[in-house]
Amino acid sequence: MNKDHFTITIRDSEAFIENPSEVISISNASAFLKDKTLAIKVSPSEKFMQINLVVNHTKNIPVNFKIKLELLEGSKLILLDESHYNNDSDLEFITIMKKNSCFELYKINRYQNNNTNKFLHDCTLLENCSFKDYSFSNGSKENFSKTIVNLNDINASFLGSGISINDSTHTDNLLEIRHNSKSALSNCYFKTVAKGNSKVNFDGTIFVDNHCSKTTSNQVSKGLLIGDHSKINLVPKLEIYNDDVECSHGAASGQPDKNTLFYLTSRGISKKDAEEIYIEGFLSEFFDTIENLSMLSKAKNFISLNK
Amino acid sequence: MLDINKLNVSIEDSKILNDLNLSVKTGEVHAIMGPNGSGKSTIAHTLAGNPNYQVESGSIKFNEKNLLDMEPTERSLDGLFLAFQYPVEIPGVTNSSYLRQILNSHLKHQGKDPIDAAAFLKLLKEKSELLKIPMEMHSRFVNTGFSGGEKKKNEVLQMKLLEPKLIIMDETDSGLDVDALKITADAVNEMKSTNRSLIIVTHYLRLLEYIEPDYVHIFQNGQIIESGDSSLASRIDKEGYE
Repeated sequence: MNKDHFTITIRDSEAFIENPSEVISISNASAFLKDKTLAIKVSPSEKFMQINLVVNHTKNIPVNFKIKLELLEGSKLILLDESHYNNDSDLEFITIMKKNSCFELYKINRYQNNNTNKFLHDCTLLENCSFKDYSFSNGSKENFSKTIVNLNDINASFLGSGISINDSTHTDNLLEIRHNSKSALSNCYFKTVAKGNSKVNFDGTIFVDNHCSKTTSNQVSKGLLIGDHSKINLVPKLEIYNDDVECSHGAASGQPDKNTLFYLTSRGISKKDAEEIYIEGFLSEFFDTIENLSMLSKAKNFISLNK
Repeated sequence: MLDINKLNVSIEDSKILNDLNLSVKTGEVHAIMGPNGSGKSTIAHTLAGNPNYQVESGSIKFNEKNLLDMEPTERSLDGLFLAFQYPVEIPGVTNSSYLRQILNSHLKHQGKDPIDAAAFLKLLKEKSELLKIPMEMHSRFVNTGFSGGEKKKNEVLQMKLLEPKLIIMDETDSGLDVDALKITADAVNEMKSTNRSLIIVTHYLRLLEYIEPDYVHIFQNGQIIESGDSSLASRIDKEGYE
């Protein structure tokens, strides 16, 4: 077993850790399970440690689970969830990041159209912490995701990149970035595609408290409507109580550019393929924010399979 | 190869082409010249099937097929190519992946196997060298951030990859400096053959000094008001359209 790398399986609301006898002595982490809550503590390390989260549905019951993550000072963690959620689910993460820690969360998930899925994440960052949050998903009957990022100390930084591809599904994405300290940075990009009779809502709030000077925060949200029956509602909100800040936000949604589709078809590409190329291009725009090549490849693969 | 008969075309209820007639035989090079708004680009886009242009009446035969019944994809796969005056930018899609996709669409239509990555790279290098296109350009997104000259060269590159039967060049000379114009014209001249026809839409004589047309047509108010040989282009250059 690679000591920098282990897998947690959540099976029907019970958690299993591969090779549990080794988990307690794993060099960079310890994990405890109690009352459907898995507490993971990550120790300081030069290298990133990776946890793979696998959610399995073996019985027809919803997954309901909580993970408490504590990144100790100087620790580095990649958490990858590539699960296919085949049933209702309710997952909650609570993350505390101590000074100088780094956390990269990759959620690359497929859901079923007839399910209800909920994901909540509350992440608190202290001095010099970096949190990168990448989310790639399709929607479901009711797909609700809420992330609250608390930038509680100087030089804390957040990069959020979310992609939601919907085909007659309903997705609600809420992101709240709370600048509770001066000199913190946040960048957020959200892109969605709505096909069929999908309905997608994105509500992005940037809050800057009155004592938080030297704050930098940017938020971009874009939606692509395919067909005449889908709806996208992008709501960027700024609540800024300090004048010494650089904040921007932009939101736009619309249908594919007809001139681009004509250009592609005029080169012998079918209408359907032209639309897929257009979607792929639209969703790929933020790929340069993913530095981890292995994760980039997974993200590209997800888009290629779900566009 | 191409027969346009009494063609009337509108854009948003504004009539642009009026009873246009034009016949292009296989192997011929035709130039269409005319002032702004005379309908030059309209005929180019109508031939390619741009849905923004409404054909009110008339007919177009392309290799004995009724072109107006064909979708843009089908027109391309059957050998019609429009080099755009303003090629669109497609962010997020690399030029190399796009070029390979369009080539594979044509190969599939011809019942051939798709070209693999290594063979495509070799072909792309070979064609790019002819046009003095750096390979680095192909890792950028399609036309995104390209200079005017790079966009036009990219159009000619696609033309060379797809080897169409009928090429329509819509003001390919605009945005090209003297050197780029010569490189582009050389690449187009290499494609001239007895089984390929060209329609060159242009304002000016300069491209026609490199690619000599068999026929020159002067457009005004959506009609051809005069036709002649290449000397007509020289006369227009000296005397203007008035």
